[in-house]
Amino acid sequence: MDNLNIGRHISGQFNEDLENVINHVMHMGGLVEKQLSDSLKAVYENDKELAQKVLASDYKINNLEVSIDDECTRIIAKRQPAAGDLRLIMAVIKTIADLERIGDEAEKIAQVALESFDSKQQDLLMNLDNLGRAVLQLLQQTLDAFTRMDVDAAIELHKADKNIDRNYDALMRQLMTYMMEDPRSIPSVMSVIWSARAIERIGDRCQNVCEYIIYFVKGKVVRHTSPDDM
Amino acid sequence: MISVNPDLISNEQDKLDLNNLSDEQKALDIKNLNLYYGEKQALQNISMAIPKGQVTAFIGPSGCGKSTLLRCINRMNDLVDICRIDGEINLHGENIYNKHVDVAMLRRKVGMVFQRPNPFPKTIYENVVYGLRIMGENNRRVLDEACERSLRSAALWNEVKDRLHDSALGLSGGQQQRLVIARAIAIQPEVLLLDEPTSALDPISTLTIEELINDLKKQFTVVIVTHNMQQAARVSDQTAFMYMGDLIEYSDTNTLFTTPSKKKTEDYITGRYG
Repeated sequence: MDNLNIGRHISGQFNEDLENVINHVMHMGGLVEKQLSDSLKAVYENDKELAQKVLASDYKINNLEVSIDDECTRIIAKRQPAAGDLRLIMAVIKTIADLERIGDEAEKIAQVALESFDSKQQDLLMNLDNLGRAVLQLLQQTLDAFTRMDVDAAIELHKADKNIDRNYDALMRQLMTYMMEDPRSIPSVMSVIWSARAIERIGDRCQNVCEYIIYFVKGKVVRHTSPDDM
Repeated sequence: MISVNPDLISNEQDKLDLNNLSDEQKALDIKNLNLYYGEKQALQNISMAIPKGQVTAFIGPSGCGKSTLLRCINRMNDLVDICRIDGEINLHGENIYNKHVDVAMLRRKVGMVFQRPNPFPKTIYENVVYGLRIMGENNRRVLDEACERSLRSAALWNEVKDRLHDSALGLSGGQQQRLVIARAIAIQPEVLLLDEPTSALDPISTLTIEELINDLKKQFTVVIVTHNMQQAARVSDQTAFMYMGDLIEYSDTNTLFTTPSKKKTEDYITGRYG
C-alpha cells in the first residue's frame, strides 16, 4: 500500500475505515481471480462440477460489491473525503463495479463448460487457452497494480489489452473458418465465441481498472483518451 | 431519446486564469505583501489577485496568517501598534497603504463581518442604516429603502419586517450575523470581508449564511476566512491555502479540493499530519 498513503490521517478511525475498504477490495479481487481461473479450468478440462461451483459462488462477489459500496457511502457521509482520499473512494467505487462484471463474465464462461461437446468439438475449446491465460495474467497484474497503486504498471497494462484484442481477432477468424467448413459445427462454435467474447470483455474491464489507478495517483481522467495522452 | 448537449455537462466552467487576470477582472491585487508583528514575520511575500464578483476563501491552520491577511485588506492591522507592513494591496489600481488614503473611505468600500455577530445595542432598523447615518444621510425615504434592500439582500427581511424597531439584541445568533451583513452591505461596499462568519452559528444558520454568500457575490466581491474546509469547498470559487505565513497554493476551488498540486495542501485538506 506504498502509494496509498492512507495511514497518516489525524483520525485513526478514518485510517482504519480506508484500510478496511482497500482490504475488502483486495479480497474481492482475489475471489474474482479465482472465479475466472476456475471457469477457464472448467472449460479446458470439461469439469462440470467445477463449473457448477463457479456458478454457485458468484453471489459472494455480488455481496461484496454491495457491502463495499455501502462502506464507501458511509465514508463519504461521515468523513467528507477530499483530494487523494476522495479520488481513492471514487476509484474504489468504480473498480468494484468492474470487478463484479468480471465475475459475471466468469459465470458466462462457466456456463459454456456445462454444455456437452463431443471430442472433436472439445478441441475447439482449446483455442480459448491462449486468450484465457493472457487475460487471467492481465487480471492478476491489474489487481497487483491496484494493491500498490502503481501508476507505471497501470499504464503498461492499459496498453497490454491491445494484445488481447489482437488474440481475440485471430481466434474469431479461426472460428469463422470452422463454421464455413462445417456448418454443423455452428452451434458449438457459437458457444466458444460467447466465451471468447466474455474473456475479451474482461480485458476491457481490466483496462478500466488501470484507468482508475491512474486517476487516483495522477488526478487525471484518462478514460476515452489515446494511450499517448496518459 | 433524450439528447444531452455535452457542453452543458462539461466540468470546465469559465475557469479564470488567476495568474493572468486583466485589470477589469481584478477586485484586489496584492503584491509582495510582508507583515511583521514586532520581530515576528506573520505574512511572507504574499502576491495574489482576487477576482471581482466572486467568492475567494482563505483556509489554513490556526496562526497561518489568513485572518491577518484578510484584516490587511481594510487596514484593520493599523490598530495594532507593533504591526509593520510592506508591499501593496491595490484597489482600483491604487495602493490602499498610500499615505493619503482615507481609511474611513477605504472601509466604506471594503466592509467586514466578524466571527461573532456584533450588533449595536440599537433597533434593527438603526443597526442597518447606521453607516448611512454617519455618512450624513437623514432622508427618511432613502434610509427606509436602504434598510429594506439590505435586509432583503441579507435574507433577513421576511423574518424582521414586522419588528424593525425592536432591539437587535433580541435576534438569534444566526439572525444577528445576517443583520451585521445587512449593515455592512447597506453602504454598498465593493468588497465584503467575512472573518469566519459562521463559526459561532448552528448548522442551519450556517447554511442560510452560505446561501446568502452565494447571492451576495452577484453584487460584491466576497473574501472569506473559514476554518471549515467543507464550507470553503461549498461557497468559494477560488481557494487560497496558507501555512505559516506563506501562500502555499491558490487555485480554483474545484481543483484545490480534488487535485491539489502541493503536498502540504493535500495533507491539510485530507486531515493528515505533515
